[in-house]
Amino acid sequence: MAEESILTDDFLRELMNVGEVDILIGVPTFNDAKTVGQVVQAIRAGLLKYFPRQRAVIINVDGGSRDGTQDLVRAASISDLNHISNLNTLRTLHSISTRYEGGPSIGPALHTILAAADLLRATNCAIVSPDSTSFEPEWIERLLRPVVRDNVDLVTPIYRRHKFDGLLVSTLVYPMTRALYCKRVREPHPSDFAFSGRLATHFLEQDLWEQEACRIGAETCLTLAAINGGFRLSQSFLGERARAEHAPSDLVLAMRQTVGVLFWSMEASMPSCSPTTESEPVPTIGVEHEVSLEPLRINRKRLHQMFVHGVSELEPILRSILSDSTLSELRQVANIPEDDFRYSDELWVRTVYEFAASYHKAVISRDHILQALAPLYRGKAYTFLVQNREASADQVEQNVEQLCLTFEQTKPYLLEMWNGRK
Amino acid sequence: MPQDPLWYKDAVIYQVHVRTFYDSTGDGIGDFRGLAQKLDYLQDLGINTIWLMPFFPSPLRDDGYDIADYFSVHPSYGTVEDFKLFLEAAHLRGIRVIIEMVLNHTSDQHPWFQESRSSRDNPKRDWYVWSETDDRYRDTRIIFVDTEMSNWAWDPISKQYYWHRFFSHQPDLNYDNPVVREQMWQVMKFWLEMGVDAFRLDAVPYLLERENTNCENLPETHQVLKELRGRLDKEFPGRMLLAEANQWPADLRPYFGDGDEFHMAFHFPLMPRMFMGLKLEDRKPITEILQQTPAIPETCQWCLFLRNHDELTLEMVTDMERDYMYDEYAKDKSMRINLGIRRRLAPLLDNDRRRIELMNGMLMSMPGTPIIYYGDEIGMGDNVNLGDRNGVRTPMQWDGGWNGGFSAADPESLYSPLMLNPVYGYQAINVQSQKRFDHSLLSWMKRIIRVRKSAPVFGRGTIEFLYPANHRVLAYVRQLGKETILVVNNLSSAAQAVELDLKRFKGNILIEMFGKNIFPRIGDLPYLLTMGPYQFYWFRLRKV
Repeated sequence: MAEESILTDDFLRELMNVGEVDILIGVPTFNDAKTVGQVVQAIRAGLLKYFPRQRAVIINVDGGSRDGTQDLVRAASISDLNHISNLNTLRTLHSISTRYEGGPSIGPALHTILAAADLLRATNCAIVSPDSTSFEPEWIERLLRPVVRDNVDLVTPIYRRHKFDGLLVSTLVYPMTRALYCKRVREPHPSDFAFSGRLATHFLEQDLWEQEACRIGAETCLTLAAINGGFRLSQSFLGERARAEHAPSDLVLAMRQTVGVLFWSMEASMPSCSPTTESEPVPTIGVEHEVSLEPLRINRKRLHQMFVHGVSELEPILRSILSDSTLSELRQVANIPEDDFRYSDELWVRTVYEFAASYHKAVISRDHILQALAPLYRGKAYTFLVQNREASADQVEQNVEQLCLTFEQTKPYLLEMWNGRK
Repeated sequence: MPQDPLWYKDAVIYQVHVRTFYDSTGDGIGDFRGLAQKLDYLQDLGINTIWLMPFFPSPLRDDGYDIADYFSVHPSYGTVEDFKLFLEAAHLRGIRVIIEMVLNHTSDQHPWFQESRSSRDNPKRDWYVWSETDDRYRDTRIIFVDTEMSNWAWDPISKQYYWHRFFSHQPDLNYDNPVVREQMWQVMKFWLEMGVDAFRLDAVPYLLERENTNCENLPETHQVLKELRGRLDKEFPGRMLLAEANQWPADLRPYFGDGDEFHMAFHFPLMPRMFMGLKLEDRKPITEILQQTPAIPETCQWCLFLRNHDELTLEMVTDMERDYMYDEYAKDKSMRINLGIRRRLAPLLDNDRRRIELMNGMLMSMPGTPIIYYGDEIGMGDNVNLGDRNGVRTPMQWDGGWNGGFSAADPESLYSPLMLNPVYGYQAINVQSQKRFDHSLLSWMKRIIRVRKSAPVFGRGTIEFLYPANHRVLAYVRQLGKETILVVNNLSSAAQAVELDLKRFKGNILIEMFGKNIFPRIGDLPYLLTMGPYQFYWFRLRKV
């Protein structure tokens, strides 16, 4: 198998010792020493508490950490040598750590994990993000239970978020995925998720591991593969997802990892894209969380300035991407004083769809297309923040739902553009 | 008999109830003359010690553990003279005999109890534990939870409560009374003078009672046992005491004292974990319990077993482990009794010859003295429909003829129905048919016993676990003097590769002990073995 070549001899030897497993938990890392120990401990506790009878392995795949991440994972390994801490377990729980080539990125990490899962014939798998400071043993149960007991193929998370957290997902990735693929998957780019061995094998066999989109956004690719492949989906309420402090997030990188992958995926999916403008809910388990409403310090003024500046500076590029009418409307919006500024859902959806079509036609470099979308997204984010400043959790949810419906209802416009009729 | 005082370390014990083995009189019940007739079979099997279950006069409400006369033999099994003849015949064949001694309690039909209950001022009144109320010793658990509600029972004759740790028809003797202690020594002396080699002392943790304790493993109980041991060593050197105490290893350790209490004790927690390890395909339960097992004095020994006359007891496991064992080994609830599983070895292992061999291989190679339960050497089955634990106490299956060769009586008059089903019935599983084939289970058992006996290291050597990364493989090194044996067991149903760190034995070659074949010399690299499903190896290490 081609996949096996990505596994080193040492890693293969360790897999040989692990043997067939029922549950495989993958933890892709890169310089996560601050949090990975705690995360692995929580995974271990979750496995022992909720799946004591299943044969399980925790596999850490590391992108070249220099902060001792791998040592911390190894230290969390249980064996029958250190029986004192191991009294309440039924069987040996392996933790192994390996390094993959090519620098840190989710694609090769997930590829390695899936290849290992395939070799170990794991029937239930999960990927856990190593940078969480709020991961709890219960999350293992909430993620894996639908796969283990109900034959679900993909379980994506629903986190308890602040109403302004994850705006890119709320205003673009989720609504657009929902409109395109007709499934209401709230986190199409999940950090923590579970999947079946069937889906793992299916995804492993896809000829996309060399693609840049898969390298940087393999989680989204997996989600979309599950949707397109007709696999059984479920969502699980987890809890608040807190992360260790990182450098300020890079919006363009996030756009590449999410929106870029979504646009890229349309190349394969659009020819058979359903014209339906309605989506189906995905079964969701667990207790729904209240959306957090505490005040949050966000520099809205800067968002507005970056939008206005972007529309002005990028006009030559935007002209090659957007229709005249959309660009004209954008210019008008950019001229509105900040206090009255509003980037409507309709205009936003048309903007996004025209970007997607241009990406398809590659009217300019595709990466430039994604970069050009960033300032426009900031304008939409500004509007969302203002619109929901005083909103209750339900009102925020209603506004997100309204945006989703706009994406769905405008879908024929996208199809027409895609097929070159506009 | 050879005069080695540590003979029990090299023993291979065969557990049998005289009633179940062979009926020489045609009354449907096995007897001592019948057992004596089958000694050649046992000698051929290779065992060198017989452990007899209680054979004393008894109302048999607890399979003989309710003794009504300690100085005689139940008439169904013969006479004291018959026992003597059997004992002599066993000794002539180099086979020692362990008998049961139920110290803790008698039957309520025993004349001692009849006298004791007859009035409150009877001289034997304080031979038992009496009370005006039933609320003394409240911290004491009830052992037979399926049948007993209290450890106290009301005696309508003397109008007091009497103490019983087991069934209510088994009143506990009062070991605070020196007369009782002396009387029980006289009982033991009676049989020792006849020539019995050892006693299995039943239910020893419960001899005494003290308020605000759980009445188990009390220091006073140990004192009583040490007294008995002292008298045994003084008057009958070379005889042995075996403790039946279903306890955790750390609680069992005091029963060895400083080598001045019991010679041997059953390792109860290991047995269920061997089954668990096999089903989980993971060595962890086994290595874990043995890591927790404390060292014992040089002259002492653990007794190991896979199955016996009782249920596969699950008292010494966690709740999680018990649930797992029930789900895996007793899916049918009728297989469960008390806190255990009433099944024989072969049915527990789905009659899988490879697993039966592996489990026996581990039994014979771990540190301790192995016990084979009668019939397990041919893979006899069980009958859960017989109630209590009688399903594992059916007649020995000698051949495919009348009553399986057990008795000439009418089948209806047998003490227990024979196994009849097509898988485990006597026509399919019997000694005669298995004797005919070199590859039968019986022939294989003979071989493994022979190989075990060829290496004293198994009975007397140290053990050191290896921890190969493959957790499906249980490997250990047994050593005694210059002899070193490597044991490798594959607990998995699939073939496995395993790398063993044998650097310190570099230069040795491995000689497989069954076929005497030579395996490659140990070098600097980890020693690679590939093993078939449930396969095990015993290697003797030799420097050439």
